[in-house]
Amino acid sequence: MPIQHIKVLRNGTDEEELKVVETTGLPTWDADTKFTVVGRPQSRLEGLEKVTGRARYSYDVRLSGQLYAAVLRSPYPHARIRHIDTTKAEQLPGVHAILSSANAPDDITWYEEKSKLFDKTLRFIGDEVAAVAAESEEFAQDALRLIEVAYEPLPFVIEVEAALQPDAPRVHDKGNRVDEPTIYERGNAAAGLREADVVIEQTYTTQTAVHNSLEPHGCTAFWEGDQLTLWESTQGIFETREQVAEKLGLPEHHVRVVKEHMGGGFGSKQVPWKQTVIAALLSKQSGHPVQLMLDREAENLAAGNRNATVQRVRLGAKRDGTLTAILADIQVVVGAYMVGGEASEVNGMYERLYRCPNVRTEQIGVYINAGPCVAFRAPGHVEAAFALEAAMDELARALQLDPLTLRNRNYSEIDQKKEKPLSMPNALQVCYERATAAFGWQTYQRPAPTGPKRRGIGIAAHEWGGSGQPPAYAWIKLNGDGTVDVVTGTQDIGTGARTGLAQVAAEVLGLPIEQISVHLGDTAKGPYSPTSAGSSTQASVGPAVFAAAVEAKRQLLEVAAKLLEEEPERLEIRDGVVMVEGEPENKLTVAEVTGRLAPHMIIGQGARGPNAKDKTIRTFGAQCVEVEVDVETGEITVLRVVAAHDCGRIINPTMVDSQVFGGITQGVGFALTEERIVDEKRGLVLNANLEEYKIPTVADIPQMTNVPVNLPDLAANPTGVKGIGEPPLVPTAPAIANAVFDAIGVRLRHAPLSRRQLLAALATQAESIDKSAPPHTQEGQS
Amino acid sequence: MTQVSLTVNGSPVTREVEPRLLLVDFLRDTLGLTGTNIACDTSQCGACTIHMDGMAVKSCTVLAVQADGSTLTTIEGLATNGVLNPMQQAFWDQHGLQCGFCTPGMIMAATKLVENNPHITEAEIRHGLEGNMCRCTGYQNIVNAVAQVAAGKGG
Amino acid sequence: MRPFDYVRTTTLDETCQLLGQDGDSSVRALAGGTDLLTLMKKEISVPTQLIDLKRLPDLPSGITSTAQGMTIGTLTTMTEIETNVQLQEKYPLLAEAAAVAATPQLRNMATIGGNLLQRPRCWYYRNQLVNCWLKGGDECQAQDGENQLHALFGGGPCYAVHPSDLAPALLALEATVQLRGPGGERMVPLAEFYALPEEKRRQETQLEKDELLLNIHLPGLPAGTRSTYLKAMDRKVWAFALVGVAAIVRLEEQKIVDARLVLSGVAPIPWRVTAAEQALVGATANEATFAEIAEFALADAQSLSHNAYKITLAKSLVRRALTMLTDEG
Repeated sequence: MPIQHIKVLRNGTDEEELKVVETTGLPTWDADTKFTVVGRPQSRLEGLEKVTGRARYSYDVRLSGQLYAAVLRSPYPHARIRHIDTTKAEQLPGVHAILSSANAPDDITWYEEKSKLFDKTLRFIGDEVAAVAAESEEFAQDALRLIEVAYEPLPFVIEVEAALQPDAPRVHDKGNRVDEPTIYERGNAAAGLREADVVIEQTYTTQTAVHNSLEPHGCTAFWEGDQLTLWESTQGIFETREQVAEKLGLPEHHVRVVKEHMGGGFGSKQVPWKQTVIAALLSKQSGHPVQLMLDREAENLAAGNRNATVQRVRLGAKRDGTLTAILADIQVVVGAYMVGGEASEVNGMYERLYRCPNVRTEQIGVYINAGPCVAFRAPGHVEAAFALEAAMDELARALQLDPLTLRNRNYSEIDQKKEKPLSMPNALQVCYERATAAFGWQTYQRPAPTGPKRRGIGIAAHEWGGSGQPPAYAWIKLNGDGTVDVVTGTQDIGTGARTGLAQVAAEVLGLPIEQISVHLGDTAKGPYSPTSAGSSTQASVGPAVFAAAVEAKRQLLEVAAKLLEEEPERLEIRDGVVMVEGEPENKLTVAEVTGRLAPHMIIGQGARGPNAKDKTIRTFGAQCVEVEVDVETGEITVLRVVAAHDCGRIINPTMVDSQVFGGITQGVGFALTEERIVDEKRGLVLNANLEEYKIPTVADIPQMTNVPVNLPDLAANPTGVKGIGEPPLVPTAPAIANAVFDAIGVRLRHAPLSRRQLLAALATQAESIDKSAPPHTQEGQS
Repeated sequence: MTQVSLTVNGSPVTREVEPRLLLVDFLRDTLGLTGTNIACDTSQCGACTIHMDGMAVKSCTVLAVQADGSTLTTIEGLATNGVLNPMQQAFWDQHGLQCGFCTPGMIMAATKLVENNPHITEAEIRHGLEGNMCRCTGYQNIVNAVAQVAAGKGG
Repeated sequence: MRPFDYVRTTTLDETCQLLGQDGDSSVRALAGGTDLLTLMKKEISVPTQLIDLKRLPDLPSGITSTAQGMTIGTLTTMTEIETNVQLQEKYPLLAEAAAVAATPQLRNMATIGGNLLQRPRCWYYRNQLVNCWLKGGDECQAQDGENQLHALFGGGPCYAVHPSDLAPALLALEATVQLRGPGGERMVPLAEFYALPEEKRRQETQLEKDELLLNIHLPGLPAGTRSTYLKAMDRKVWAFALVGVAAIVRLEEQKIVDARLVLSGVAPIPWRVTAAEQALVGATANEATFAEIAEFALADAQSLSHNAYKITLAKSLVRRALTMLTDEG
């Protein structure tokens, strides 16, 4: 086996690692490859379980003697526990275990060692104070009420400007700045601004948004001797195993993490949280299985969120639209702690999306006394796009250029940061062309206003990663009856990974998908696969399955060749039949081949190989939006969204559509309604629920069209696949904000675009609306 | 403790329960019918939707004792003799699901919609599903699934 | 949720006695439960006994026509109100308001009695960590806090807004509620039933703790009466009103001869703007009139730090409702 150096991208920095993988000599699925399973709609393999209620989520586990846990959480945004007494709670019948700072291990740290598992200093409302395991959820709640805690409230800070004042209350001893600012500069940004004919300078803000996966975080934990099993709602079973083992001082093979089905994660479940270790300890203490699920309130308070941002943006351009400078000063409001996992790289899109020689970004993280942030579907990019793509729209208006024209004029075909070519330099161009063509951007005729209702259109673009990367491993086992078990330690977080991976295996092996089973979501049963984050599962694990299937096929054909007395090179498998090229009568079914071999079996092992080193692999997309704004009531209706997203080769078009529709819908929520509301005076989160934290309903969604792009990117991997999970959310909100401006001539620079903001802005600009028609995109094109 | 007797998915059930036990917890914890999901706790999201005496209700905001004497159907009781209800089949066919967590409640709400209004329009489908939140699919394929069933029935 | 005893009663008298017997108001009546159970989960309401009104045979349910108008029993569900054909014909306003309230599943459980008696959705009131004035505390945190959803009228000491969509419609229809207490029954116009909370009565209605709401009586409406309920929300559906307006207008030859305007989402109780109604009577139906009326209706509105937009919104809805109702088309 060849030994290869593999670059592993972790936390945004390159680390060199040494790994042994066999990934050379693989065939590739190039643009001319003919497929029978790949590229076709395929209903989900796990659909039956999900429509019958049999799909087992972490809190569906029912074990003999199982207890239910509940967590007491800090009622103060900042406080010190003076004293805690759990005596009364312990005496309550049905209570089996209690943990708090009084008895929990003192050496388990969390949040970059800034907090203990049960810390005596509490830094946000919802911080863990104590936990109880009891025979029912109700008893556990009863016990929580009996825990007596003497708190010493401390000064707190919620608002970002206030947090940056020298005399601000300190969230942490070292102050409220997470670190030194991250500064990036290429060229000379100040000089670029001076060269510009037109400069746009604006400040945009984005809100704290909460993932609100329908299934909250949680797990069921139990011990068999010194073996811990966790049924965990997680995006990363191996990440969870590694961290839990480390926190509890266990060897990794004594920890098994299982996740069959998961009710969404969107980034918030890419790292284990305190409650997982708390459940394991409660289980140990009580000698019973313990189930600990967060309720919706805790989910909103203490299980992550998309960080709010303040972004001061300056764009400079020549009269013809050529960008001369891009500058962004970015504050990222991280909450009380950094959680780890994917970073919120707000600065990245400023540095990459448009061709510009002079770019400067400065990003700083700021602590406040509220729940910690964690990656949320395209972290950083959603926030950045809201500002950058609106600023580009403002620039286009100032230059009297069509926003599309401005974007094309500043099209970047290379990775300007690394000075490397992009693997698919025309991908964004294709997205622009397909989205605008399907939308009718060039030919859009604004309908005449009906009463108070005004129509407008907007466009926005994005770039994102999603190339996937090593390591990821898979096994293919061919059974005696010709069926196939695909085994891998990845997880299906709801996206349909089982189905996409099965399609890859079926295609390589020439088998109908009904003969494929995919086994995943169990660290004890499958080889390592990475956390499902960064839109990377199909692009990371798919190639491992591909490699394993290629290897299994090679072995299968070797056996078949002997049985058919032919050379393996002359054999092909189609529809489960091994055929000899040009001799249609000379054939065997796969089952006949594997049957002859049984009980010996064919096992293919596959690993994800490295990405091309000489190119940068990114994904791109563009969305066009039409809105209707009621200028009397401030109501915004998103009428339609047309999306085109480059995700490499499309394995399952319906699942890609589904990701795009879901992303757009979250984008509509981000644009219009979703926002965590905190009373800054009291530190109270006022909408830690799905009543006042308003996610879109079925009535809020526009007509959505996804125009397939399907550009296989073989620099990424032999299957040509890149990710689609996160990107569709990115351009939606700025495209909506741009369309609102197009409709009514009012620029809203703060997400979400609430009625409150819109009506206030309309009141200020009422006169100008009456006097002149809103600017029309077509006017700029001449 | 209070005794409740009711019919769940065609079978009579009698249990002693605490009056504060929510119907959804009765189903999930007492009866082990874990197909009905809890997502919001506060009757917002509809994941816990079941049929109670022929009506779609949110079982997180009903006490088990309130259901005494009633007839319940949960997602587990929708298929008959292993044959999927057309709505279940349609959600599967049309990709009306992703993570699947809202799916049981969505299907239970949708079956009642079409049952009460066999010629239901798309607008009526949307109005009827207002009380069921989905965070993954964007609803489009869910509406398509319900429309598939309505088309089958209406045609 | 804290433990409680579940009680079924057989007569109205027994029920009222039970409700009244306890000094610390820990006996509560449960109908659909869609509001009370959410309050109990948050321990904002902590009853020790819960009387299941749906098991009380004498408590009326259903919609019946009377000589003048209609009577709606307290246990009538919101779904029945939304879908009852006679009610849709006679009082489309009510059916319209019911259809935009909550969600189908909740309308199946929720009763009209419970809807009229529901407590505010104010996010301070509903927060366990806050002891707001309405819950017996000293201050209203919304007054200087996040008050974007709060009251324009009748605010102080409580600035919460009344959440019901049916209540403004019923107030516009000049409904009367029939109440039953240990001493017998009384009829109270809805306009009096709702009263701004006071120091000694920190609730939105005049209902005594030992009283039950039995029926809602609707008087007849003259032929040619038009009505609508407009509701502005933070999203398209399934939200409480930012502002709503229940409007009733009767025209005779382009002159308005009867007008009723009730705003929702703007005050601790449904807010009837009587002066604006009076100004409308005799006026000619046109845009200029309606713009004036809208200004007039909101003239006394007092905005807090974050809710001034609601004034604009309310004016727009008033104008729009009146325009719709007087549009010849």
